Amino acid sequence: MWFTRLSIIRNLVKRNFRRDSVQLLHLSEEAKKISGIKDAAVVMGTTTNKEILTRLGLLTKEGEAASDSDMILAVVADSQPRIDEGLNQIEEMLLRPPTAKGRSFYSVEAALQAMPGANLAIVSIPGEFARDVALKLLDKGINVHLFSDHVPPQHELELKQYAKSKGLLVMGPGAGTSIIGGKAIAFANVVKKGKIGIVAAAGTGLQEVSVLLSEAGLGISVGLGTGGGDVKTKIRGLMMLQCIDALERDIGTSTIVVVSKAPDSDVKKSILGHIVNDTKKRYVTCFLGPENYEIPATARERVKGTKTLHAAFVEATRNSTTDGQQGTAKQYTFSRNELAALTDKAVKGLSDKQKYIRGLYTGGTLAYETLIILGRLLGPVYSNAPLDPKLKLADSYRSTRDAIIDLGEEEFTAGRAHPMIDPTIRIIRLMEEAKNPEVAVILMDVMLGFGSHPDPAGAMLGAIEEAKKIAQADGRTIPILAHVCGTEQDPQPLSDQEAKLNKAGVHLFPTNAMMAIASAMISRRGTLDKRAMEDIYSHFLISF
Amino acid sequence: MSENILQLFTSELKVINIGLELFRDALEAQGVDVAQVSWQMPIKIEKEYEDILSKIL
Repeated sequence: MWFTRLSIIRNLVKRNFRRDSVQLLHLSEEAKKISGIKDAAVVMGTTTNKEILTRLGLLTKEGEAASDSDMILAVVADSQPRIDEGLNQIEEMLLRPPTAKGRSFYSVEAALQAMPGANLAIVSIPGEFARDVALKLLDKGINVHLFSDHVPPQHELELKQYAKSKGLLVMGPGAGTSIIGGKAIAFANVVKKGKIGIVAAAGTGLQEVSVLLSEAGLGISVGLGTGGGDVKTKIRGLMMLQCIDALERDIGTSTIVVVSKAPDSDVKKSILGHIVNDTKKRYVTCFLGPENYEIPATARERVKGTKTLHAAFVEATRNSTTDGQQGTAKQYTFSRNELAALTDKAVKGLSDKQKYIRGLYTGGTLAYETLIILGRLLGPVYSNAPLDPKLKLADSYRSTRDAIIDLGEEEFTAGRAHPMIDPTIRIIRLMEEAKNPEVAVILMDVMLGFGSHPDPAGAMLGAIEEAKKIAQADGRTIPILAHVCGTEQDPQPLSDQEAKLNKAGVHLFPTNAMMAIASAMISRRGTLDKRAMEDIYSHFLISF
Repeated sequence: MSENILQLFTSELKVINIGLELFRDALEAQGVDVAQVSWQMPIKIEKEYEDILSKIL
């Protein structure tokens, strides 16, 4: 943001004053609308927020001195009286009592008393306090969806062992998505009801697979998120195994999809062993990673191994559908020729200098899937959350060569709402990438569903237009690709969101994997290693 | 041992939401019965005050 010389920027710091990041996001939006205010932000004083305020031209030395537990009220106006009036109004907003909606309580005990039949709790409080609250709930026989991050692994183990002993679920910590009884829990989509159950240690992985299955005409019985920590050696896949056992017994589920970034090797072995030896239903395992993993020959008819979300979707479709539905699913995999035709125009518009791919992701598992595909097609790809630690960006705020950025990682979210809700961080990054003459193509995910921004495509349109103008002024064009992960039944209907992006000249892809391959074709002018491409089609887009 | 879980899959959801009101709003929009807990962080007391308090109380 650039302000005139007459603009005054002021930061007011409120010591030890907290509100949750989503409340502050809404407050910032309201503050921007105050008459006489040119721009405003209300944020906690974390390093991430100070970095972002700096990039927005909103940080002063008072704000710079704020700590994590302080709140910064940043305002820009033309005169001191307007600044003072703006700050007064923001302070009044902060003191306003929350509008009472439905049933609201000040303690867990009071809520438990008021709702004796409660069967699920969602916990999204700071991780260090989550254990005590979750134990209280498990004691009362209530399943827990633990959204909180930063729960110590020892607490996670204790909670999951206790839940197992009581035959209950502890989904998470760090569980972003579940679908139970046809309802979207936390960040999840409105999907058709059906016979496919999903267990996932990867939230946006569950979203992508459930959405694709739903849009292809199949449906989901249950989707359970376990949190990424579950498949580490310390937790031993306790909840993933518990969820598999529950879905195995659930009469509403006929096929089970198991999704995770590559688990620790001992956990992977134990989960696969359990599926192969102790279950009877049809399974699709999706352990995301570049390597194949062993499924015993005797089980290969019943258990399909995959390593991308796209392949998990394709195999789950093959497992559960009639020929007609398989036909629908086939539309999601473009042939090489189809991809070449789709990307041809973008390739022709590039200058010689434009070489690199930049991925700006809000969905961590989708970013990870893209790294796997690009890694096979192109070799080393940099990231703030890379497959190989050697390819970690020295500075997450600055891309190098081909780079895929997971904007949901800690360095972008400490004290802020997730970028699936707050588009600010991606807008800033898109502007920066557009200024770089070496960038050949930009790709992004647009996550729909409950929990997400009410109009995520619309929120990016201004920035997309601006990015194109920046490139144009420099004599370039930048192709922007997007995959919208959502359904027609979501609060933000898929077709509306796609139409907005399409009108803005964004190239749309039906799956994240297809978008990743297209970005590789564009950046390398259609000349990709033939063997690598063959491998992608025969081992990455279907079971291996 | 998974009877509780199987029941969860088939029963009407009754949810206690502790923390982000965003999740309460999303569930209510789907017609789910929700009890919201406005959780507050426990107040941190400096060690010397804690010692004094523990003597008084």
